[in-house]
Amino acid sequence: MQPFALNYARPAAESEVTAAYAYDSGLQLNVLRDGRIAACDRALLRELGTTTSTAGSKTHFDD
Amino acid sequence: MTVLILTSEADVTADMVVVHLNDAAVPVVRLDPADLTGGAALSGEYAHGSFHGRLSSGGRLVSVNGLRSIWTRRPGTAAARAAAPSAWLAEEAEQALYGMLRGCDARWMNHPDAARRARYKPWQLRVAQRCGLPVPATLITTFPQAARAFAVRHPDLVVKPVSGTHPQDPPRAVPTSRVPPDADFSAVAFGPTLLQRRIAKRADIRLTAVGDRLLAARKTSEPDGEVDVRFTASDAPWCPVEVPPPVAEGVHAYLREAELSYGAFDFAEDADGMWWFLECNQSGQFGFIEVETGQPISRVIAEWLARPAPGVGAAGGGADAAAP
Repeated sequence: MQPFALNYARPAAESEVTAAYAYDSGLQLNVLRDGRIAACDRALLRELGTTTSTAGSKTHFDD
Repeated sequence: MTVLILTSEADVTADMVVVHLNDAAVPVVRLDPADLTGGAALSGEYAHGSFHGRLSSGGRLVSVNGLRSIWTRRPGTAAARAAAPSAWLAEEAEQALYGMLRGCDARWMNHPDAARRARYKPWQLRVAQRCGLPVPATLITTFPQAARAFAVRHPDLVVKPVSGTHPQDPPRAVPTSRVPPDADFSAVAFGPTLLQRRIAKRADIRLTAVGDRLLAARKTSEPDGEVDVRFTASDAPWCPVEVPPPVAEGVHAYLREAELSYGAFDFAEDADGMWWFLECNQSGQFGFIEVETGQPISRVIAEWLARPAPGVGAAGGGADAAAP
């Protein structure tokens, strides 16, 4: 009784990246442990993949 | 006047825009509706023929009438983190917040009504057709026989979710996948199934539209590689690419019909260079494209958000104040 599309389902990969930076409500920005603004570290963003279009997220479906 | 950003704290992609707004000295209030009624609060009074509303978040207070623009980026479910969350409280908080915001003159990226409609992928296909964008032959059906007949006419097919959502119990992803020629379509009867003629693509295109600005990027595909670019292991980079004028015309028409100020369009480029419309994500990710290509998407978004509200000068009222 499984819908056809679910024959092609895969386990969802949820990334755990919360330890890399934390939200600063004063700045309204996420900051790294050394105080730098996470969004300004493009190499880090690329490494973490947090700005990447993904599939299977339980928090949103706009990729 | 202030830019209101509705998103989660962890949304580092929104941070990329906040940095530009800060550089331009444009006041910003970032609010996650999930924080109602803890870290965020609201109040609105309708009296004597006028409305005065206030929002607070993270110790900042802003007048609803002092908003120049509202960016619905990745807002959480209203009151999801309240002390005693419930479906009823979520609906109450959602109605209070978005109901008040709907009544102000701020510009939206994107308006919730337009955003909700724009998520319907079958509707997207029809709008794209009307706007002159090439759409691969597509069937959405619960009739197994219709699926079999479609597969005879189009032997090389892919299947993908109609909604774009993914099952969560247990968490699974349903990527766009090739359908083998000998597929058994009986299970089509158990759920609406979207089948589409596979485009033998030589590249994936992500076109990010911000107002009138179109920024497109191209990623070369491997022949017979993964259909869904989100799952590809390819190291091919995203590179900036010019938008063909007919595509630009179609995208502008799409945005007008959909009443969207932002859209992330996915196309498949075939061997002849034609861009086939796949979908438009009204809040699609853009950070990874900017990081790889250097295209100034976050700056363009910030510039769009920073424009004054209709009929109001940029130096108008509604400046931030400390919350009581």
